[in-house]
Amino acid sequence: MTKAIVTAISRIRRSPYQTVAAVSIMAMTLFLASSFFLLAAGSQAVLRYFETRPQVNAFFASDYVPSQEEIEIIKNKVESSGVMSEFKYISKEDALALYKELNKADPLLLEAVTAQMLPASLEISAVSPADLKTIAELVKTEKGVEDVRFAEDIVTSLTRWTESVRIIGASLVGAHVLITLIIILLIIGLKVSSRRDEIQVLQLVGASTGYIAAPFIWEGILYGVIGAVIAWTLSYLTLLSSMDFLESFLSGIPILPVPVLFMFELLGGELLVGALVGSLGGIIATRRYLKA
Amino acid sequence: MVIAQNLTKKFGSLSALEDISLTIDPGEFVFLTGASGSGKTTLIRLLIRDLKADSGQLSVNKHDLMILPSGKLPLFRRDIGTVFQDFKLLLDRNVSENIALPLEVRGVKEADVQNAVKIALEMVGLTSKSTAFPAQLSGGELQRVGLARAIVGRPKLLLADEPTGNLDPKTAGGIVRLIKEIHGHLKTTVIMATHNSEIVNHYSLRVISLDKGKVTKDNKEGKYD
Repeated sequence: MTKAIVTAISRIRRSPYQTVAAVSIMAMTLFLASSFFLLAAGSQAVLRYFETRPQVNAFFASDYVPSQEEIEIIKNKVESSGVMSEFKYISKEDALALYKELNKADPLLLEAVTAQMLPASLEISAVSPADLKTIAELVKTEKGVEDVRFAEDIVTSLTRWTESVRIIGASLVGAHVLITLIIILLIIGLKVSSRRDEIQVLQLVGASTGYIAAPFIWEGILYGVIGAVIAWTLSYLTLLSSMDFLESFLSGIPILPVPVLFMFELLGGELLVGALVGSLGGIIATRRYLKA
Repeated sequence: MVIAQNLTKKFGSLSALEDISLTIDPGEFVFLTGASGSGKTTLIRLLIRDLKADSGQLSVNKHDLMILPSGKLPLFRRDIGTVFQDFKLLLDRNVSENIALPLEVRGVKEADVQNAVKIALEMVGLTSKSTAFPAQLSGGELQRVGLARAIVGRPKLLLADEPTGNLDPKTAGGIVRLIKEIHGHLKTTVIMATHNSEIVNHYSLRVISLDKGKVTKDNKEGKYD
């Protein structure tokens, strides 16, 4: 195996232009794959965030303060439906504290607001986003409840967006993987063809098909590995340089920074895909020629 | 070592070999003679299964070549050494690396390869050229490298297809002398295709003559006609 790898490295060094072409297309495809993967993973994390945070907010009229018994009755009613995961009562004072925390940078806004102006509310988490409407229907008829809001639209939009990213990403990356496979196949096929005299001699002295094919397959794997490292480095650098923009765009949604371990898992995946595509190109190219 | 019965090979409508029957025993030295196009090279190619016969029976070193699966070809060929008229050396490898090829493909240990290459180089008298590349060698030296490569794995059968075809008479004589010495030393069966009458007549060995794809003569101590 070591000899086959050394031979593959030697052949790669002897044909720099073909190597640049093979590695470039591999890196481009894997960069595209990692970009879509990061986008899909990010969208999924945002979706998960919205799915797991309190989703239904039921606001009481600003002049109404529910008693502890009334709150317990509502809680029991929603709980008995079996679709509630968390229930929290936000009093007027709690609402003011939240308001102050959110607007602490703007003293003018703080001065004008008192606890009496803010409504008490209920924050109710659902087991599943599909149950949000059920919870909303249950609480909106309760005494003193003036308005009910829930993040159904956000979740629906995010679900659609995530799904679209996955479909478009998979289609684009799939097409590029196919193109890359064909280009690797052509490049290695050319090399196999240019070495037909050598292959003939090897066959006549008793070399097995595996012995003859191994350096070509390793060549494909090396194209994949080099392409994967370049693609991963580029995607990580792009992510790091976009961090300020992403942090402001995703304000309040705690999915940044991306864990280093996750990025190394991405590198592992890219190396695997690159090596698989490269080796497949090498196998098909040598099989085509050695069969002929 | 070789048993052929009613062997026939055609290229399209052209009959290259027709109804060939012959037997070659282990340890024999046989000249295969005939004019260009008589079928010598086709027969050599059938013997290493570079070509497959259309009909008949062919057994080489106890392998039935009519039914030998392609997956078993490498193992079959490891017992056969072949010398070609055009040498078929790898130009980007030096003399030692070319000679080592048959052992490398078998996965022989590096130390054993080096040792066997050294012995083969001594046998063909090319020890001083071990690191030279083919482009730096004369025709005779190239053929000696080809011969060393053919014998380095101690084959049971040595096939030589016009090994002197590209050489001057003096160098050609040297190469055949070397093949004869190797035959005596290693007891390898040798089948040598040639149309060099001087060489054939000099040795008085078995001669199988081919003409238009048919065996016309098979004499134990034959001469070139």
